[in-house]
Amino acid sequence: MRYELSVNGQTVAVDVAPDTPMLWVLRDHLDLTGTKYGCGGGYCGACTIYVDGNIARSCQTPVSTVADKAISTIEALHENHPKLVEVWEANNVPQCGYCHSGQLMAAAALLDRNDSPTDADINAAMTGNICRCGTYTRIRAAIHEVAAYDATATGSEEDAA
Amino acid sequence: MNIANVSRRNFLKGSGVFVIGAALPARANLPDGSVTAAFEPNLFVALDTDGTLTVTSHRSEMGQGIRTAIAQVVADELDADWSRVKLAQAPGDAKYGDQNTDGSRSILMNYDRLRDAGAAARLMLRQAAAAKWGVPLDEVSAENHKVAHAGSGQSADYGELAADAATLPVPEKVSRKSEAEHRFIGKPVVHVDNGDIARGKGNYGADVKLPNMATAVIVRCPWLGGGVAKVADPAPRPGLIGLEVIDPAPPAGPMFAPWGGVAVLAEDTWTALSVARELDIEWTASPNQSFGSEPLTAELKAMLESPGQTLFDIGNVDAAFDSDGQELSAVYETPFLGHMPMEPPAAVASVEDGKCQVFASVQDPQSTRGLVSQYLSMPLENVDIRVTLLGGAFGRKSKPDFVLEAVELSKRLKRPVRVQWTREDDVRHDYYHAASAQFHRAMVDEKGHPTAWLQRTAFPSITTVFSGQALMPAEWELEMGFTNLPYRVSNQRMESAGIRPGVRVGWMRSVCNIFHSFSANVFADEMAALGGRDAIEHRLEMLAEGGEMEVPGMQPPPGHAMDIGRLRHVIEKVRELSEWDRERPEGTGLGFAVHHSFRSYVAVVLEARMEAGRPKVTNSYVALDCGTHVNPDTCAAQMEGAVVFGLSLALDGEITMKDGIVEQSNFHDYPMLRMNEAPPTKVHVVPSQGRLPAGVGEPGVPPVAPALSNALFAATGTRYRSLPIRMA
Repeated sequence: MRYELSVNGQTVAVDVAPDTPMLWVLRDHLDLTGTKYGCGGGYCGACTIYVDGNIARSCQTPVSTVADKAISTIEALHENHPKLVEVWEANNVPQCGYCHSGQLMAAAALLDRNDSPTDADINAAMTGNICRCGTYTRIRAAIHEVAAYDATATGSEEDAA
Repeated sequence: MNIANVSRRNFLKGSGVFVIGAALPARANLPDGSVTAAFEPNLFVALDTDGTLTVTSHRSEMGQGIRTAIAQVVADELDADWSRVKLAQAPGDAKYGDQNTDGSRSILMNYDRLRDAGAAARLMLRQAAAAKWGVPLDEVSAENHKVAHAGSGQSADYGELAADAATLPVPEKVSRKSEAEHRFIGKPVVHVDNGDIARGKGNYGADVKLPNMATAVIVRCPWLGGGVAKVADPAPRPGLIGLEVIDPAPPAGPMFAPWGGVAVLAEDTWTALSVARELDIEWTASPNQSFGSEPLTAELKAMLESPGQTLFDIGNVDAAFDSDGQELSAVYETPFLGHMPMEPPAAVASVEDGKCQVFASVQDPQSTRGLVSQYLSMPLENVDIRVTLLGGAFGRKSKPDFVLEAVELSKRLKRPVRVQWTREDDVRHDYYHAASAQFHRAMVDEKGHPTAWLQRTAFPSITTVFSGQALMPAEWELEMGFTNLPYRVSNQRMESAGIRPGVRVGWMRSVCNIFHSFSANVFADEMAALGGRDAIEHRLEMLAEGGEMEVPGMQPPPGHAMDIGRLRHVIEKVRELSEWDRERPEGTGLGFAVHHSFRSYVAVVLEARMEAGRPKVTNSYVALDCGTHVNPDTCAAQMEGAVVFGLSLALDGEITMKDGIVEQSNFHDYPMLRMNEAPPTKVHVVPSQGRLPAGVGEPGVPPVAPALSNALFAATGTRYRSLPIRMA
């Protein structure tokens, strides 16, 4: 079936079976391979995308359910979250990096709705994303660092105003 | 010096005009430790006329930061501008020397040669400038991608000198920088691939696309050695190309050949997956269908009840056990484990016109090349193995069965094929870390110290994967924490026993050190407890005052003998780091373990308590001495990761088999540690002090599980001698 999709702000068309998960639509049909296959069962979070701004497991998201929704992927994340990407890079957060598309998407979603997450908030938001290399402590520290930076940045804007 | 100017030999077309090759050691390519023949000159530094420095990494990147480390070493000795350094990834080729990225030895084997490659290039650039300006060489200095002559005020960018340098002979001798002069070595440099990874641009095996590529998902026989008896044709559907039956590997001999099953070939992954899920297949029988992990463990434990093969025997252990005194004995058992890298195996192959090109996340592209060449009966030079980033590996991706599947299917289909393993395929068709059992028995004095010690180990050897005859653990497996136990007692005997498993076993991050460290560290803790002693105080007393330890069995490489002084130092460091003597809250315990592996020394303290019937690790502390290290931040990261890896296996890691079939399938029944259970980790990395470089990727893992067991004993008084740790 033909679907018109909005992916990273662009309208694209694909011709796939209705039950095709967005994971494979992105990877096979739209050449957006930043979204990773890790388990196919929604357990690991490597395939995390945004659907209308909300976190979704793309391996559990049939294309037929998102045709009228805005999809966003890791490839576009740095546009709206440059500081997060910068800190991730500078702090050597990734090791093999394979799960980090999903980790970054989950971290950004957390920071979007909570500008000063506690460790418990981070646990709640990030526990769905497995990292076999075990980079969790750096992910946690990076989220705190970005939140602290954003707080300072916002603070100075307010001061200026 | 083994460096050659190969600029005119066109090795790296298009990547630079000035190319330096340095001979790398060719050794220990096989896991049995046997030495292969010496290779051709093989490491390449390329400098372009625009000054771009391309460093070729001949080791596979799987998160251990090796691409960055190689560039750091070369760029440092070359005095390069880091912003002008680019990385290239070597294809599988003997000219690079050993490419087997395994055994935590990339820097150990290559450090000096990488330095010489950089230093030679630097000297040649200075020579080129001196000749061009007609000034003495010793008046010409190189710094940050520039050569300068102070007297005349002339200076030139490296790029301007590249063409001249390329015409010069390679110097006989170069001088390496001192540690104090290093600008990148020993510094916490940001990894070169982070930028791509954080933007979704990291290119892994599963991400490769070739024109006209088909995708294959393979339904493999549930048991090892079985093949396809019958398969019903699926209903046609758009995108489906068809089925191909793959025969299983022959019953004996190298088991890197395909497992055997039905490949579903399709134009896209989802079509292949959907059809694979619905296939109706009848399998042929195999003797391995009688295999079970529970009977295997029972058999291993039974073996421990009688003498095994003696590996070391001093004094008179039996007489000591007959004498009066306090005796302690315990049996430890550990299960099969899966590697489970986040990227399941994936490979792209294109077999066309008598040539084969592969793109895959492999740890050893050179042995992959050899295997593909053999498999296709194709000359080696027609096989091109390209290494992508590895989405985790931990030893799994040095077994290229998945590459041979892609090769076979591309050959049949006459178009490029990507084989995509599902997570279920990965869990059920791994080369499992071997299940094991150990028996320790000691006569213990009033201070908790052994006066006689019998240690037995039993496990299926990895050599069973290479040979239909292999049975006993190999020397190199026993040298992983068993024969090189750092404690010497006047009456001491070591014995081993082996068994043939009905599954493929293979090396996984730190290999046999996992179970040998577990049993030895918990037993030592039991001896300390029996003597009512502080675990760390007791352990320091058990060790010699210092000096090199003589060990039986396989010997360490020259310069890497176990140094008891360094072992003591990491113990003292972790005691300090963890504030070992500080009172912890009621119900919280500290556990300690120390282990020497991959020529490094690691001591771990874990702080843990029981929470809702499950162990909760609240803090972890690691002291690492890996000798000279290139990137201290990478070292810390590897220790942080090792704590998580070690806790995953200690808390939940268990693969079981029944009727030859693996009972787990995905992360829901083979769980991994997640964010909510990852403890804060403090790491101390012992300064380099000019010592030989040693391993970093693996040695952090072995002390973690025993430290947890010991912490839980301190917290609860219950002793946990089996992994994974299960509450009664």
